[in-house]
Amino acid sequence: MADIRIILADDHIVIRSGLRLVLEREPGFIVVGEAADGKEAIQLAQDLCPGVAVLDVAMPNLNGIEAARQITAASPDTAVVMLSMHSDESYVLRALNAGARGYLLKDSPEADLIAAIKAVFDGKAYFSPAISRVLVDDYVRQLRKRGLEDSYELLTAREREILQLLAEGKSNKELAGRLNLSIYTVETHRSNLMEKLNLHGIPELILYAVRKGIIS
Amino acid sequence: MGHFTHRTSSRYGFRYGLRYGVGYGGVRFILTLGFGGLLVLMGMGYLQTERLMTQIQDRSRSIERRFLERSKTLNEIRSALYLSGTVFRDYVLDQDTGRSETQLRRLDQIRREMDRHLDEYDSGIAGGNNEAFDRLKAEIEGYWKLLSPALSWTAEHRKHDGYQFLRDQVFTRRTSVLDLANQVSSLNERQLVVGQGEVTNLFSGFRRRVRLTLLGAVGLGLCLALLAGWRILQLEREAAERHAQTEHARSELRDLSARLVEVQEAERRSISRELHDEVGQSLSAVLIEVANLGAVLPPETRLLVQPHVDSIKALTEASMGTIRNLSLLLRPSMLDDLGLLPALEWQAREVSRRTELEVRIVDRGILTSLPEPYKTCIFRVVQEALHNAERHANAKSITVTLGQQEDRLHLTIQDDGRGFDPDRHKGLGLLGMEERTTTLGGSFNVASHPGQGTVLSISLPRAPEEAS
Repeated sequence: MADIRIILADDHIVIRSGLRLVLEREPGFIVVGEAADGKEAIQLAQDLCPGVAVLDVAMPNLNGIEAARQITAASPDTAVVMLSMHSDESYVLRALNAGARGYLLKDSPEADLIAAIKAVFDGKAYFSPAISRVLVDDYVRQLRKRGLEDSYELLTAREREILQLLAEGKSNKELAGRLNLSIYTVETHRSNLMEKLNLHGIPELILYAVRKGIIS
Repeated sequence: MGHFTHRTSSRYGFRYGLRYGVGYGGVRFILTLGFGGLLVLMGMGYLQTERLMTQIQDRSRSIERRFLERSKTLNEIRSALYLSGTVFRDYVLDQDTGRSETQLRRLDQIRREMDRHLDEYDSGIAGGNNEAFDRLKAEIEGYWKLLSPALSWTAEHRKHDGYQFLRDQVFTRRTSVLDLANQVSSLNERQLVVGQGEVTNLFSGFRRRVRLTLLGAVGLGLCLALLAGWRILQLEREAAERHAQTEHARSELRDLSARLVEVQEAERRSISRELHDEVGQSLSAVLIEVANLGAVLPPETRLLVQPHVDSIKALTEASMGTIRNLSLLLRPSMLDDLGLLPALEWQAREVSRRTELEVRIVDRGILTSLPEPYKTCIFRVVQEALHNAERHANAKSITVTLGQQEDRLHLTIQDDGRGFDPDRHKGLGLLGMEERTTTLGGSFNVASHPGQGTVLSISLPRAPEEAS
């Protein structure tokens, strides 16, 4: 397997160097650059074309979310993992909307960071277990309180399959190949399931999948 | 904001004490005295009028009565004179001795009667026509004297001289007596006129006095009205001034309170940020360094040190959790990072997580980039309302609706709790919400009845969109 080239962006030098140590212990990980703010991170990503960018949410000059948006827009091959102090889903959703696929709390064990980098590099989503737990708990509680039927029950087996693959980061084209369907059919399934679940876009779909425990 | 509220208000207080504190008693005393005097004046005027009217009436009646009496007496004297003339003529011309005796007696009777009338008239007389009456009296005396020699005449003598005496002496005399009587009568009439003149004088005197009294009353009343009017104007001005002062003090208080809220919010934000960004980041650095420490330990010491490393990690993680909660409690970072709606949704989730209350946030299209004071105001109001619904209302669900029309932002918070009477129980929480709302020029309304839930409606003038 090819090495994973990583850039790190955090305004705290201690954290940056600490993380570097953690990552460099992992075989196959190479930290190719460090940035102290969002602007630097964008420049680095542009210059180095890393496989993964690990970005702190709160950074001077340009915050991590904005940096993630610009990095994923400019170089779609760079996957983004956000590091954050915030566990609330509105932050998670915003990071996902900005193009990040991984979202980690800063009090996550170092093992989570390694798992996250591997997952996003594979095109999958990854969240701190603490966040997944909160999302799932909230979802279950809401269903119970409102006495609502779980709209997941409305989905067909094929739609559930597509939901999972989409949440794991697969594209329509990949889905079509894997399931032996035309792209047109995949798109129909996709829009049907989005409508049934009242979701708007892949980030919401990913959050939904985490809530349902389909991915973690 | 460089006002010194305290100093300003105490200065006003002092001025009032000095200017108005002393004058009150004096003016009140004068007004009381004036009104009392006016009443006494009017009462006295009435009594005087009554008395004078009675006097005038009595006077004019007595004048009239006296005139009538005198006229009557005079008429009687006159008719007695005529009668005496007739009887005397009969006496003189009659030859019969028996009849002449009777006529003599008759004459005597008439004379006595006439004397009585004269005395009567005399006693009723007052001033003026004394002289004329005395002449009349003397003339009548003379008349009788003229007659008296003839009374003792014999029949012969009467027959002989009678008629001539009658014609030359008696009738002439009687005519002059009658003339005098007429004169007296006209005098009497003149006296009536004089009496009437007296009454008229009395009347005009009375009129003058009434006019004076009335003039006094009107003057005093005018003075009183002026004084009272001046006093009322003064009180009005004073009240208006005081109202303005109160209003001023109130607005200063409002400013101060708004400022306090603002400062508190800024303080909370900075502490929250500090905790989150500085302390939190340091702790996360500690966490990473501890992990690195664990990794570089040589295998022989690792067994010994690893439990301590794990304990440090656990403690640090717990501290980070605490810091995060504390920071959110002070001021949720979403409000500044993500905007109002995400912050409200976070708050809703928090409350739902912690309690049985179900919170629904309904967005009917509110601006995503509201200016800071608006975000904070709405967020804090909702936070307080959720707190109330959870603590006091025992509600099961609560719906927060945000909307925006052309020039106003609308916020409605409706719960299904036990409700209350807003006129009676208005806690500090509600007052705080109202104050936050009015500071931004908005309106705040509570609709609630015991057992029927609560609806809070807030309307804010639309803010200029934040340039971001």
